[in-house]
Amino acid sequence: MDVTLGLLPDSPAGDDGGGVPSGGSTTVKSILTKEDNNKNNMVMCSEVSSSYPVGDQNLGDLELGLGLSIGGGGGGGLKGKVVAGGGGWSQYARILTAKDFKQNSCSSSSCSVSIPNSATDSVSPTNGNSVVGWPPVSKAHRMPSLANENKSPTGNRISVTEQTKSKNRTVVINDYSNEKARISDKKYRSVKVNMDGSLIGRKVDLNAHTSYEMLAQTLEEMFFRRRSSTEAAKSSRLLDGTSEFVLTYEDKDGDCMLVGDVPWQMFLSSVKRLRIMKNSESNELAPRFQESHERRRTDVV
Amino acid sequence: MFPEEVLEHVFSFLNSHTDRNTASLVCKSWYEMERWCRKRVFIGNCYAVNPRVVIRRFPEVKSVELKGKPHFADFNLVPEGWGGYVYPWIVEIARAYPWLEEIRLKRMVVTDECLEIVAKSFRNFRVLVLESCEGFSTDGLAAVAANCRNLRVLDLRECEVEELSGHWLSHFPDSFTSLESLNMACLGSEVSFSALERLVARSPNLKTLRLNRTVPIEKLSTLLQRAPQLVDFGTGAYSAEIRQDVYSRLADAFSRSKNLKSLSGFWDVTPAYLPAIYSVCSQLTSLNLSYAATRSPDLTKIVSQCYNLQRLVVLDYIEDTGLNTVSMSCKDLRELVVFPSDPFVGEVDVLLTEQGLVSVSQGCSKLQSVLYFCHQMSNSALISISKNRPNLTCFRLCIIEPRVPDYVTHEPLDVGFGSIVENCKQLTRLSMSGLLTDRVFEYIGTHAKNLDMLSIAFAGDSDLGLHHVLSGCDSLRKLEIRDCPFGDKALLANASKLEKMRSLWMSSCLVSFGACKLLGQKMPGLNVEVIDERENVNSLPEYVPVEKVYIYRTVSGQRFDTPDFVRIMGKDKDDLYNLS
Repeated sequence: MDVTLGLLPDSPAGDDGGGVPSGGSTTVKSILTKEDNNKNNMVMCSEVSSSYPVGDQNLGDLELGLGLSIGGGGGGGLKGKVVAGGGGWSQYARILTAKDFKQNSCSSSSCSVSIPNSATDSVSPTNGNSVVGWPPVSKAHRMPSLANENKSPTGNRISVTEQTKSKNRTVVINDYSNEKARISDKKYRSVKVNMDGSLIGRKVDLNAHTSYEMLAQTLEEMFFRRRSSTEAAKSSRLLDGTSEFVLTYEDKDGDCMLVGDVPWQMFLSSVKRLRIMKNSESNELAPRFQESHERRRTDVV
Repeated sequence: MFPEEVLEHVFSFLNSHTDRNTASLVCKSWYEMERWCRKRVFIGNCYAVNPRVVIRRFPEVKSVELKGKPHFADFNLVPEGWGGYVYPWIVEIARAYPWLEEIRLKRMVVTDECLEIVAKSFRNFRVLVLESCEGFSTDGLAAVAANCRNLRVLDLRECEVEELSGHWLSHFPDSFTSLESLNMACLGSEVSFSALERLVARSPNLKTLRLNRTVPIEKLSTLLQRAPQLVDFGTGAYSAEIRQDVYSRLADAFSRSKNLKSLSGFWDVTPAYLPAIYSVCSQLTSLNLSYAATRSPDLTKIVSQCYNLQRLVVLDYIEDTGLNTVSMSCKDLRELVVFPSDPFVGEVDVLLTEQGLVSVSQGCSKLQSVLYFCHQMSNSALISISKNRPNLTCFRLCIIEPRVPDYVTHEPLDVGFGSIVENCKQLTRLSMSGLLTDRVFEYIGTHAKNLDMLSIAFAGDSDLGLHHVLSGCDSLRKLEIRDCPFGDKALLANASKLEKMRSLWMSSCLVSFGACKLLGQKMPGLNVEVIDERENVNSLPEYVPVEKVYIYRTVSGQRFDTPDFVRIMGKDKDDLYNLS
């Protein structure tokens, strides 16, 4: 499919106002210089065609536009024009020298630029912090070692509650203790959650929660998109009956039960899936509904 | 001008997707001819195109392969709920291709409802491969088992399956005899052994059987005896108190499995049972011991007998000594994967260093593909590896601590990786780690002309690094970057390159909201997805870097199944009128 960019409203046809593309289809070399710490000038030449010979000169001031191309590499590609780009792309379409890239540069051993969620400190586990998704081993290949089987989980692993706090989302990441729990006979505790009226079901990891309140908050974020921290302080609407929905679950026997009646651990061992049910439907619940309605006010953790 | 029948016959020899795509570009009649006879469709990014468009172009498809989430989803970098739902595809292809035979999905969300539709819509359905998928339960599997009467392949690779019961296996009817491949290794629940045994017994074409952990070692011999034609076998938990009768039966069963070429499984290994496989070692072309938490001597004893091994997947327990044995014994080795036994332990008590990899690169002349986790590396080792093995096509090195320099010289590893890309001219996939400056990217941009996929983490100094890669790597299609100081400039300067790639992932870098918006506005052929879970994300100024951005080319426009933490930038009508 021929994608033509037609970027700039004032660029006439045939004029690649965006300058020379930097992709593989150009016929002009893009040349950048970089001065490394030892002041050795290294000329890096990414040669894409042999139209222009390269000397050893410092070509840092060559006016080459490195903007966007027009057309998917076809359409006359590159006319070898040396154009300072116009229009809205001028700041990007002009020559790019090492000076442009220097702004963000930092010494190789430490980076002082603030990168969101990056580990700028060493990620040595002795720090007590692991980095999300590092080392890049997929879940299937993360396993307890022989050496560690007799050790108790150390501060190496981020506890799941920490993770949840920092992200406001329930994701089990790098939580090694969970992995060990899984291996030692506790099954993977992600259960399906469906909400009446919603087409797409979600999944929630019960092991990542320690109480009904926590679970309800997660579900409210997932389904009702409530994210403000002020609301988090209030008790969950799903649990206290003020919402138009109630939280129910299907237990091992296939019965539909109201969430919150039994102690949390007992709930964990019998829940099979969750359902956020419209209040109007809740009459179909197991008969305990009426008496448990009173009990819901108390903390059941 | 050839008559259609001749063209069709010629095209039937074109099997690769790229060849077919190229042929379809020659002229209109070739395009027409090709689209009518294309039987297998591969879509590398499910959001790059709309199912209806695919169906309209290829009406006679028998096999569909789709990929969903970006690769870094494997490492929990893609939040749950991001997308990759296969349901819309399933609904369309169920309607359009009643004779579809094969579905292969990778990193997609597959619900039970999807599986039920698959089970009931395709009368001649044969192959279901789900790799790294999630969202379904054993109920969905039961539906497939019960209804797909001609199923040949049920392959669940590293899926996250909700385990409601093990009874799904019992849903294969007694009349079902066509099974050729069953991989249930990722499931946790116990299946009825007698149902499994009966299934194996009535499947004369069964070549691949990968059990899950719950199948005990005592039962393995029974299954092996039922299926002497097996080529690929995955054990369950390979542990028990050592009992002579169990051991003898097992060793005997293995020795009779003359067709066995691939072994895997071996969870919770009891080392005393390992010698039971010795009799098949010399037959093996593929061996996966990556769940075998056993020490080097046991592992070495095994690999020393695997003269025909082509693929070895193992934990770092194998140590340098074990890899040295590999280099001497496994002269046909093509692929080596060494996983870390415990990625988080500070003290390194496993003696696996860069030396192990160097010796394998020396001794195994056919080595092409490497995935290696270790704790230290040096430039000289990398240079040796590159000179030993210029035929490498895939080189993935993960030094577990980020930004670690050459342990000998304390310099960055730029020169070492530079040597890899310079000497290994056929390199198509590269992952790097350790201390790396912009210089390594200069080398990559200059030399890695065949590089198709590049993974970068905790590397580089400035936008120049990213610019080298985007402007120099002519064949680059997939680029994934995390925790690097790359920002707006390099990205915007190389915007056109992004349309020639499948996708670009950047997380914890320095790309701003403003740049993402601009890119999305200017490039209608790209979806620029900002994935950002911060609570105040809507009030952040435009110069603030985003948490994550995923950019991919698409002909289907923006998607509408995004969760609230995903914004597709620059596509709002307001944005389009605000071109600055």
